[in-house]
Amino acid sequence: MVVVRLDRVTKIFKGGVVGVKDISLTIKHGEFMALLGPSGSGKSTTLYLIAGIYKPTSGRIYFDDRDVTNLPPKDRNVGLVFQNWALYPHMKVYENIAFPLRLKKLPEEEIKRRVLDVARMLQIDKLLDRYPWQLSGGQQQRVAIARALVKEPDVLLLDEPLSNLDAILRISVRAELKRLQKKLGITTIYVTHDQAEALAMADRIALINEGRIVQVGTPEEVYNRPATVFVGGFLGNPPMNFLEAEVEDLDKEIFLVIGKYRIRAPERYWSIIRRLKTKRVIIGFRPEDTSIKPESLDTICLPGRVYGIEPLGRENIVVIEIGGELVKIISGRRISLTLDQMVWICPVMEKIILFDPATGKALDRLVVEEKIRAI
Amino acid sequence: MPGMRDVEIRSRSTELLIMCIVFMLSLPVITGYALIILSSFSRDMVTNLDPSAFKPTLTNWILLFHGRTALFAGIRVNIWGIVFNTLIVALGISLLVTITGALTGYAISRMNFHGRKHIMALLILLHAFPGSVLVVGVAFIYRLFMPSYTYVVYYSFFFVILARAAIEIPMATWLMKGFFDMIPWEIEWSAIVDGASRIRVWWKILLPLIKPGLAAVMLFGFLAGWMDLIYVRTFLAEPTLAVFIEYNVHAEYAYLPLVAAAGTLYLLPTILFFLFAQKLIFTISVSGIKG
Ligand SMILES: Nc1ncnc2c1ncn2[C@@H]1O[C@H](COP(=O)(O)OP(=O)(O)OP(=O)(O)O)[C@@H](O)[C@H]1O
Ligand SMILES: [Mg+2]
Repeated sequence: MVVVRLDRVTKIFKGGVVGVKDISLTIKHGEFMALLGPSGSGKSTTLYLIAGIYKPTSGRIYFDDRDVTNLPPKDRNVGLVFQNWALYPHMKVYENIAFPLRLKKLPEEEIKRRVLDVARMLQIDKLLDRYPWQLSGGQQQRVAIARALVKEPDVLLLDEPLSNLDAILRISVRAELKRLQKKLGITTIYVTHDQAEALAMADRIALINEGRIVQVGTPEEVYNRPATVFVGGFLGNPPMNFLEAEVEDLDKEIFLVIGKYRIRAPERYWSIIRRLKTKRVIIGFRPEDTSIKPESLDTICLPGRVYGIEPLGRENIVVIEIGGELVKIISGRRISLTLDQMVWICPVMEKIILFDPATGKALDRLVVEEKIRAI
Repeated sequence: MPGMRDVEIRSRSTELLIMCIVFMLSLPVITGYALIILSSFSRDMVTNLDPSAFKPTLTNWILLFHGRTALFAGIRVNIWGIVFNTLIVALGISLLVTITGALTGYAISRMNFHGRKHIMALLILLHAFPGSVLVVGVAFIYRLFMPSYTYVVYYSFFFVILARAAIEIPMATWLMKGFFDMIPWEIEWSAIVDGASRIRVWWKILLPLIKPGLAAVMLFGFLAGWMDLIYVRTFLAEPTLAVFIEYNVHAEYAYLPLVAAAGTLYLLPTILFFLFAQKLIFTISVSGIKG
């Protein structure tokens, strides 16, 4: 068990392609950290840097206090599960799992004991005599995990290990994997582009976009207090809704003007807006933190037109058009709305988040940054 | 091993037509081979397409295996020695080409070093050069390192294998590079993270995965050595089958049905190769590799 620390790590590939840029991240002892981001954001690159497959262009990587930046992969004692599992096709399952131990030249009985132990733990002890291509996707994935675990690694790195499984299997394996990680207490970094997976499994989530870490926090933090428009728009299904608005400061009150309509800005933002002298904002609100009303005089509500209804069984997603923009709102199982009907949507005041359109950052973050700069 | 598949959009009749055309085109070649083989079992040559000339006998083969190259004259050669020489040359070339090809192919496919692109271009160029053009230069090198008379036989074997292999290596390298290119990087990385050195990854993981490719290169190398005439004739101190046949075709005492038997013996590896090895080479088993 170790603490993994990335200190301003940058990886630039040949030809100037930026893999990751200036990443600083600490993964605690025994922590389950999810690395979440869209395709091409640099997740695998980060993982390969930690494993030692890539060397950083600049920056340092530490395991505890040990600087491993220039250490070859075999001296780092990491277990790595690849996105395509990368089992050795010509070796039986037993040999696949035993391979790392064979390289360490352990005695045969010890190899056997450890392979059987880990195989039993992952419930693949009946498959040891098969070739990888004789296994189902879920079984192959277990073999890959077994091979990573058998050498008792200090750090476990998983690169979208579930992405090749079907939706139902994925959800059951998800819970299993999390239990296993907690039982073994291995510091784990789990790469995924599936926000639901990250929210469900991780102790903390690091969101990465275009090679940069955007926000790090517990699932609850990153979901409820997204630091940028990107985070809000990436987490949740459907994700956060955004509306651009003009700020109207009437000294006594502050209003946000969206086209012909205006709503009262949440009071906790008043001082922030005044301090930053914000002229325009992006209003962010979650589909589940918004209600639809047929009639309203509330100053937080906006009028809109029902554009579409997507029934999901347990709930309905109502798509509403407001001044040319579409927003999605989750409503209860029973609704009595018809297409093109005029309704009012009312976001919960406390759950509204305001962002700066220029930088995409949340206003309260910008204020903190400004205060730091002022010191 | 996955079976052979195809998109099934051609109709049966077109398929038949294509088969017929292919068969017609290859007919002259097939006839040539068939006549040689037939002649080797006959008292007279049947190469003039006259079936009445076929008088079945095994004499040719018996004489050949006794090393008698003419029907009446007492000329004897050690035919088994010649076969042995041919085997040494063919196996030597095969081995050298395979080992070198597997190493250079790996390097070019998987390692990033200066001049990699140039080497790749150069290899194609080298392959385009016919071996006969190079023979003068090779002869010069041959003379340069020639040892004393006692060792010249060994030296000539060693040299022929080296020189002839050198001509096959560019092609082998390209072939092997193609095979290595097919293996996903993740498999190699996985082994490296597991603690293997690169040479070990090459030996334990990659080579087993490209066995069919290795077999192909090995076979091509073998056939190149088995068939070669120019290099063997120029440099080797002992005859091989090809040289033996070539001598006997012009020899005054030549008894052609016997030469046909020798020719059939000479064709044997090719025939065996086509009978047994096609499947090995054309179904490259990469089952289980994803990515
Ligand atoms: N070996 C490489 N050479 C050049 N560019 C690379 C290399 N590997 C990755 N990149 C680039 O670096 C960026 C990050 O790639 P990376 O593989 O880390 O993305 P990812 O987040 O893992 O995406 P995905 O979810 O699709 O796997 C991409 O723009 C990619 O094109
Ligand atoms: Mg990836």
